[in-house]
Amino acid sequence: MPSASDTTTVTSAATGDTTRRRGSMLLKAVALAVLAAGVLSFPSVAANPFILSVGVVIMSYAVLATSWNFVGGFTGYISLGHAAYSGLGGYATGLLVIHTGINPWLAMVLAGLVVAALAVPIGIASLRVRGASFVIVSIALVLILLLVFQSWGSFTGGSNGLRVPRPFGPEVLRPEQHERFFYLHALLLGVALLVWWLIDRSRFGTGLKAIREDEDKAQALGVPTFTYKLIAFVVSAFFTALGGGLYALWFGFLDPIFQFSILVGSYMVLMSLLGGIRSLFGPFLGAVIVGYAVEYFKNQYGDSQFHLVAMGLLLGLVVLFMPDGIIPAATNLVERFRPQKTSIREVSAADLAEQRRTAGPEAGQADQQARTDDGTDIPSTDTPTDTSVTEGARR
Amino acid sequence: MSLLLQSLVLGVLLGGLYALLAAGLTLYFGVMRVVMIAHSAFLILAAYLAWWFSTETGLDPLLSLVLTVPLFFGMGVFMQRVLISRLRPATLTMMSVLLTFSIALVIEGMLGFAFSGTQRRIRLDYGGANFEVFGANVAVVKLIAFALAAVSLAALFLLMKKTQFGQALRATIQHPEAARLIGINTDRVAGYGFGLGLATAAVGGTALALDSTFYPSLHWHWIGPLMAIIVVGGLGSIPGAAIAAMVLGMGQSLLQIPLGTTWAQTFFYIALFATLMVRPQGFFGGRLAQRF
Repeated sequence: MPSASDTTTVTSAATGDTTRRRGSMLLKAVALAVLAAGVLSFPSVAANPFILSVGVVIMSYAVLATSWNFVGGFTGYISLGHAAYSGLGGYATGLLVIHTGINPWLAMVLAGLVVAALAVPIGIASLRVRGASFVIVSIALVLILLLVFQSWGSFTGGSNGLRVPRPFGPEVLRPEQHERFFYLHALLLGVALLVWWLIDRSRFGTGLKAIREDEDKAQALGVPTFTYKLIAFVVSAFFTALGGGLYALWFGFLDPIFQFSILVGSYMVLMSLLGGIRSLFGPFLGAVIVGYAVEYFKNQYGDSQFHLVAMGLLLGLVVLFMPDGIIPAATNLVERFRPQKTSIREVSAADLAEQRRTAGPEAGQADQQARTDDGTDIPSTDTPTDTSVTEGARR
Repeated sequence: MSLLLQSLVLGVLLGGLYALLAAGLTLYFGVMRVVMIAHSAFLILAAYLAWWFSTETGLDPLLSLVLTVPLFFGMGVFMQRVLISRLRPATLTMMSVLLTFSIALVIEGMLGFAFSGTQRRIRLDYGGANFEVFGANVAVVKLIAFALAAVSLAALFLLMKKTQFGQALRATIQHPEAARLIGINTDRVAGYGFGLGLATAAVGGTALALDSTFYPSLHWHWIGPLMAIIVVGGLGSIPGAAIAAMVLGMGQSLLQIPLGTTWAQTFFYIALFATLMVRPQGFFGGRLAQRF
C-alpha cells in the first residue's frame, strides 16, 4: 500500500522504470506471439475432428465472452441476457441467406449491423436503470425473444428450428470445415480483442471505467455517462451478433431453445468473471476453462441435468471467492514479489473499501492529520472517524 | 360476456398468487438490495416437495406446508447469513444476482437429477370439482390456491404492521443505518426477512402444485413475469408489487382471449419496457427504487 515512507524510494524507482517497462513490453509481445502461435497451430495438433469441433465451440464461446466484456468489463453492467444478441445474429444471418441468397459472409456482417441497430432502442430502455433492474431487463429480453421465435413459426421455423445453408460447397469435408471455421473464429476473436484493447487505452475507455467505479461521480466530473454506456452496449451487441452469426454458419442449425437460452448468457458471464473482467484476455481464458468443462460434462454425463449443477456450483464459487477472476489473482501474486510501484494505480471502489477496512485505524488517522494540518491541533489519540470509516466500508 | 367474466375471475385468482410471490421478492430486495433470481426455483422446489409428500404419504399436499414453510424459512436465513452477507458491499447487487442465479441452476439441476425431467401433476379427489358464479366457472383448486395466497399475504401484512418484529423489519428496509443506531440488530432482522421471503415461495409452490403441471425448468417461465411485476410496482414496495401483480395478472388473463396463451405472456415484458421508458423507478416505488 502506498504510504508516506514510499516517497524516499521514488527517485531510485523512476530511473529503473523505463528499462523495466521496455522489458515488460518485450515480454508481453513474446507472450502474445506464443499465444497466437498456440491458437493457430491447434487445428494441426488436434487428434481428430471431434477435438477440433470442441476447439471451434470453445473459440465461439471466447468470441461471445469477449464481446460480452465490452459492456460487462468496462461499465460493470452485468447482462445475463446477451444470448439475445447472439441468437438474433444467428437467426438474422440464416434468414438473410435463405430469403435473399446473398453471400453468407456479407449476410453475417449485415446481421451484425441489424442487431446493433436493434440494440440502440433496447439499450436506451435498459440503461436508464442501474444494477438490479438492468439485469432483470436483460433476462426479460431473452425470455421474450424465446417466446417470439418459438411462436412465429412461419418466419423463424418455430420450435422445429431453422436450417442454415452452409457457406462452403459440398466438396469441403467436415474436418476441413471445422478447420476453416476455427480460423474464422480466431480472426473474429482477434478483431474483438483488438477493439477492446483500443477502447481500454482510449479516453472513452477511461470514461467507461469511471462509470463502472462510480457512475454518479463520473457524471459529476463531466463524463457523458448515458452516451458512453449506450455506445459500449451497441458495440458489444454488434460483436456478439457476429459471433452468433458465425456459429450459425458453422453449426448449420438453429433451435430457439438453445439460441435464446439464459444458460448461454450466463456462460458468457461465468467465463468473463472466471478469467477476470478487467483484463483483455480474461474472457478468453475463462472460455477455454469453462468451454472445456462444459464439453467434458456433456460428454461424461450425457443428457442428465448434472451439467447444470456443476455450472451452478462453479459460478457460485467464483462469485463468492474469486469475483475478480484468475488473471488479476495471478498478477497480484506476481506483483507481490516485485518492487512496489509508485505511480497512480487503478483501484476499484471495492478494493478501496477493502483496504480501508483492513487498515482502518491508520488510514483514519492520516486522514485526520491532513485535515488538521492548518494549525488547529487535535490530539490524534482519539479518532472518532475511525469507526465511521470502517463502518462505512462494511455497509 | 361470460367469457370475459371467466377470464376476469381467472385473472384475479392468478394475480393473488403473483402478488404473494412478488411480495417475497420485494422483501429480499428491501432488506438486502438483492434481486433473488432463485425465488421461482424455490417455488418449483416447493411444488416438487408437495408432490413428493403427497405421493409418499397419500396425504393432502396442503399438509406439506407444515414442513416446507419452516424448512424454507430456515434455508432463507441460512442463505442470507452464510452466502449473501459474504459478498462485497460495493458490488452486492450485481454479484447477488449471479449468486442467486447459480443457486437456481443448482436447484433445477438437482430436481432434474432426482425426479427426472418428466412433467408431474398431483392427483386430487377434488381436482375436477368446480362451481359457477354468475356464469363463470371456478375450479375449487384454483380457489384454494387463491385463498392460500390471500391468507399468507394478509398474515405477512399484519406481521409487518402490527408486531415489533415487523416494525424492526420495516425500519431496516427504510434506513438500515438509522435502524442500527436505535438498537435494531439489522443483520438478524435481514436474515429473518430473507427467511420470510423464501417462506412465501413455499406457500406459492404448494398452491401452484395443486392445479398445474410442473417440471424442473418451469421456473424460467415464472421468474420473468415476477421480475416484471416488481419493476412495474417499484422495487422495494410491497403494496406496489401486490397491485402490479393483480393488474398484470388480470391483463394477461384478459389478453388470452384475443391473442392466445403464448402471446399473452409477452404482456408482462411489454409492461416492463413501457415502465422503464415512462417511469424507470416503477409506479409505486419511492426513494428506494430511484437509486436502482
